[in-house]
Amino acid sequence: MTAPVPTSPASRLDELWKRIGAALDGEGPLSSRIAEAALVATGARDATLYLRDRQAWVRAGESLPAGIAPDEIPDPLPEGIFHREGDLWLPLSAEGELHGVLRLCGMPTAEAPDSAALLSFVLGSAVGAHRLSRQVRDAEFELKARLLELESLYDLGLSLGGQLDLSTLADEVLFRSISLTDAGKGTLVLFDDHGAVLLERSVGGDVLSARDAAGWTLPEGGTINNAAASVPTAGMKLAACEKCLAVAISVPGRRLGVLVVADKESRDGRVLDFTATDARLLSLFANQAAGAIETARLHKDAIEKERIESELELAAAIQRQILPRDLPAVAGVEIAAKNRPTRQVGGDYFDFFPLSGGRLAFLVADVSGKGVPAALLVSTVHAAVHLQIDEAKTVAELIGRIDRHLQKYAATRKFLTCFFGLLEPDSGTLRYVSAGHNPALLRRAGGRVEQIKATGVPMGMFPNASWREESVVMERGDLLCVYSDGITEALDAADEEFGLDRLTRRMSAEPPAKVCATVFDAVSAFAGDTPQYDDQTLLLLRRS
Amino acid sequence: MSESCKVSSERRGDVAILWTDGYINNQGGEEIAREAYTQLDGGARALVLNLEKTRIVNSIGISILIEVLEKVMDKKGALAFCGLTPTIDKTFRIMGLAQYAEIYPTQEEALRGVNAPTA
Repeated sequence: MTAPVPTSPASRLDELWKRIGAALDGEGPLSSRIAEAALVATGARDATLYLRDRQAWVRAGESLPAGIAPDEIPDPLPEGIFHREGDLWLPLSAEGELHGVLRLCGMPTAEAPDSAALLSFVLGSAVGAHRLSRQVRDAEFELKARLLELESLYDLGLSLGGQLDLSTLADEVLFRSISLTDAGKGTLVLFDDHGAVLLERSVGGDVLSARDAAGWTLPEGGTINNAAASVPTAGMKLAACEKCLAVAISVPGRRLGVLVVADKESRDGRVLDFTATDARLLSLFANQAAGAIETARLHKDAIEKERIESELELAAAIQRQILPRDLPAVAGVEIAAKNRPTRQVGGDYFDFFPLSGGRLAFLVADVSGKGVPAALLVSTVHAAVHLQIDEAKTVAELIGRIDRHLQKYAATRKFLTCFFGLLEPDSGTLRYVSAGHNPALLRRAGGRVEQIKATGVPMGMFPNASWREESVVMERGDLLCVYSDGITEALDAADEEFGLDRLTRRMSAEPPAKVCATVFDAVSAFAGDTPQYDDQTLLLLRRS
Repeated sequence: MSESCKVSSERRGDVAILWTDGYINNQGGEEIAREAYTQLDGGARALVLNLEKTRIVNSIGISILIEVLEKVMDKKGALAFCGLTPTIDKTFRIMGLAQYAEIYPTQEEALRGVNAPTA
């Protein structure tokens, strides 16, 4: 029970001061202590403290700002202390600014004016201090929020730097964008290389139509705030929000996506305009996202490239298995052959087939294109030759059979040039078909070099094609040179080809193995460091 | 994806566990505060907020959580968080929530932290 206040003015005010001071020094929230101080000082039955919170009055001490009845507080509020319906109202001001008003109900006696004035002054100062402490707290909160923005930018950079999963990356960017701009909702749309929607994420509802977002017209690096925009941007669902902020996610020359946040929240439930800071933050997030998305894309490309290279290596290994490891020993013939593959799988193939009667069949083929398709065709040709070589009576028939096999079974629509020869060492007769192949060279023992031209079109090119079989007699000491165009079309740094003349000049009376080494050395010296993109194959036969 | 926050709760002795599901913004924050104050007014001494189904918190939501924390402190109670994403964990630490409320990885640890029965 509250003790009576002394009657002497001085001692009464002194006692009042002590009671107010003791109540304010107590525990609990300051707003509760202020009301408590009023109760102990006045002996009132009930005290309600109203505080100004932004534009509205709220009852202090309530957990949630529930709002007050329209006529609960007089409007306008009279200046100075006033009575209303038996209650005493004390405006609480500090330094000329009204911070609150205290309503005292059930006062035991009429309050002396000086006591009420003292109470109003002291509690006004307390409310002012309370207000100031809240302002300090709010300022500290703002400062921490700015620090959080900076930390988030840093964290997002770190997080996205190692993030290669687009879905996780999109969530990270969207969540942070919404969170740090206090947006109520947001949408992120990413496009693929062709402008189709790759991924879409929304929080709180869509504010952007993913299907229409590809027609986005926002200038690169710009932002749109629909509070100020006169022309809506394509895809925006402006009806789904009151205010929005949008930014494109781009790398130079390419649109990667669009990031939109909408309806910036306030504590009192109003939708605020997005600020310049929000726009800058969103742009920074979009830039970081663009870098990360591009990195993820490049990583994916690199993995794909690695996979392709791995396949090519496998194909090259298969092709190496197809080429003969050892040269056949055939009486009356000196043989040399070499294949130098490029880094990529090419389509050169050579082979020897010792036949009955001491005869020797051989071929050099060059498949169009490179890579796995070319390797597959080489493999098909290899199988076809081995299947058909014992069935055909002439070289031309064999080539025709192989061609039909290719037309029927080859998995890819490629063609190949081929020189196929059948040498009878005893007589020196060379029967051959050159299916669109480079002219073979026949160096006579006396030194003259003849060219053996193509006798038909490349294989696999036309259905029902046929080839003319021709023959030439190789005298003892004559040297036959069959090669792929990787030799004659080897390029030097000036883009000049090695050419048929240079090859012809390397034909000599030296043993075939020596001639072969000389040619490859000459091609290497000619090309220097210039990368070569075609297999180089050379096959040499000398009748001895 | 809808992120409007849903809050559910359960009392274990004098500790109330609150589970959030969704965006802790103004609406979500008020849902939490309403449930928290109901529990506190109903005699709960401590609150454990399990945020494992929340991935976004904004500053309005944080300010409401601070108000809840102040209310708990006025009542000399305790508040603990658990199930935070790394981003929300860091956010709470920067914004000062971790200064007066403990953050635990799991609900069980949080319950042990506020001296509540774990089952």
